[in-house]
Amino acid sequence: MKALLFAFCFVFSVSVAKADLPKPQQPPQRTAREVLHTSLEISTDPKAYEAKLQISESSLKELRAALDSAPGGNGAVVGGISTSPMRTMVAGLLMFMAVSIAGILLARSTSFGRTQKTVGALVLVAVLIGVAAIITRGNAGPPGSYRWRNLPQALAEGKPTFGGVDIEIVPDADSGAHIRLVMPLKKQ
Amino acid sequence: MSAVTVSQAADYAEKNPDFIPCYPRPAFFSGVVVSIVAAAAFASWLPLQVSIVTVFLFAGPHNWFEFRYFLMRLPVRFGRSRIFFVTAFGGLGVLTVAYVLLPFIYNARLWSDEAWSTVIAGWNTALLFWLGLLVWLRSKQKPRWNWTWTIPVGLALCSLNWLGPDFFSLALVYIHPLIALWFLDRQLRRTRPELLHTYRRCLCLLPFVLAGMIWQLSQTTALPDTNGLFWRITQHSGAQILPQVSSHLLVSVHLFLEMLHYGVWIVALPLIGDLAGVRVWDLKTVPVARHPRGFPRVIGGLLIAALAGVVVLWFGFSVDYSTTRDVYFTVAIAHVLAEAPFLLRML
Repeated sequence: MKALLFAFCFVFSVSVAKADLPKPQQPPQRTAREVLHTSLEISTDPKAYEAKLQISESSLKELRAALDSAPGGNGAVVGGISTSPMRTMVAGLLMFMAVSIAGILLARSTSFGRTQKTVGALVLVAVLIGVAAIITRGNAGPPGSYRWRNLPQALAEGKPTFGGVDIEIVPDADSGAHIRLVMPLKKQ
Repeated sequence: MSAVTVSQAADYAEKNPDFIPCYPRPAFFSGVVVSIVAAAAFASWLPLQVSIVTVFLFAGPHNWFEFRYFLMRLPVRFGRSRIFFVTAFGGLGVLTVAYVLLPFIYNARLWSDEAWSTVIAGWNTALLFWLGLLVWLRSKQKPRWNWTWTIPVGLALCSLNWLGPDFFSLALVYIHPLIALWFLDRQLRRTRPELLHTYRRCLCLLPFVLAGMIWQLSQTTALPDTNGLFWRITQHSGAQILPQVSSHLLVSVHLFLEMLHYGVWIVALPLIGDLAGVRVWDLKTVPVARHPRGFPRVIGGLLIAALAGVVVLWFGFSVDYSTTRDVYFTVAIAHVLAEAPFLLRML
C-alpha cells in the first residue's frame, strides 16, 4: 500500500512540479493553427447562381467553442480529450498502474477459478489495448485524402462527396482575407 | 378511511417511540413512478423556467434536510472511527476551500488554458485520492469486505480525468444527483426493508425514462442563451463542453436528475427514513444532541444557522438570481463532498 501511495504521489507530483515539461521554446510565429476537425460535404446545385457555404447550427457552435478554447481565443474553458503531451503521459501512467494492479489482484484472487482468471486477463488486455489505441489515436482510419480521391469525377457527375476537413485559422496575409478550401488531391 | 394529519402522526409517534409509519407497497410504487415521470415531463417541457423555480424553491431546503440527516448519522463519540472522520472533515474542508478559490484564480488569468486544465485535473485527482483514502480507512473497519478493487478503479478514473478534466467535472455534475438514490436505498434497507425490492424495481424505470428523454430531445434546437441567466444554466449543464449535443437535452436531463435529488432529500428520506413521524425541529431525534454526553446547544445552533442560510439564499435569489446561483453552486460543493463519508459509513 505504501509503495502504491508513493508511486501515485510521484506520478502526480511530476505534473504538479511540471518537471516533465520541455525546455522553453522561442515565441511562436503567427502561423496557421488547426482548431477543429469536422466533416464536409461537397455537392453541386445546377439551379444555384452563387457558391454557398452552408454551416449547420451545431457545427457553428462547435466551431465557436473550438475557437474560444484555441490559443489566442477568448479563454473559455472547453473540454476535450487531451491534446496535451503532459496530461496524456500522466493519464497513460495512471492507466498502466490501474491495469497492472487489477491484473495482480486478479492473479492473486482465490475467489476466481483458472478459467475466470484467464477470461479476466483477456478482458484486461483488451481494455488496455483499446484505451491505448484511443489515447494514442492508433485507431485512426485511412488518411482523409482517401475519401476525396473521386471528387473530380463526382463533381463532373453532379454527385456529392463526403469527407473529413480540418478547419485552420490562418493569418490574413497568407489567406488574402478570404476563405480557401484546399483539397487533398493529387494530379491525375 | 380517516385522514390523519402530519401533526397528529407526529404526536402519536412522540407518545409511542416504537411506532413506525407503514406505507403500502402499491402506494409507494405509484408515488415513485409518478414522481419520476412528472419530473421528466416538466424537465423536458420547460427546462429553463422549471430549473429557475426548482433551484429557487428547493436548493436551500434540500441542503438543510441533508445537513440534518448527516447530523442524525453522526456518532456521539468517534471512537474507532476517529481517523476516518478526521480525514473526512479535513479533506472536505481543504477540497471545498480549493474549489471555492478556483473561480478567483481563473478570473485572475494567472495561467494559460492548458495550465488551467491541469489545475482542474489536479483538483479532481485530489478528490479521487481523498475518496480512495476514505474507502481504505472504511475497509479497515470492515475487514470481511474486499475493497481492493477500488484501487484500480480509482486509478482508471484518475487516468480518464487527466485525459479530459472538463468531462470528468461534468460527469460529477450529472452523477451527484444519483447519489441521493443510493442513500435512499441504504435507508430503506435499514428502516423499511419491505419496500426495498419495490424501490429497486422503480429505479429500473430510470434508464428507460432517460433514454426516452434523449430520444425525444436530441434533435431539438438549442435553448436560447441570450441572457446571462439562461447562459449560466446551459453552461452548468455542459453546453459549452458538449457543443454538439442539444442544450435543451443537457439542461432537461440535468434538471430531471436534480429534481429527483431534491425529491429524495426533501420528501422521501424525511417520510421514510429516521425522520418519519417526528418533528424535524425536534432535537431529541438527533443522537448527538439527545445523548447525555451530546451537544444539544451546538447542534441546535447549527440547525438554526443552516435555516438562516436557507432564508438568506431565498433573499439572494430574489435580489440577484444569477449571482446567487453561481455562488450557491460553488459553495454547494461542500454538500457534494460530505455525502461520500456518510454514504461510506452506511455501506
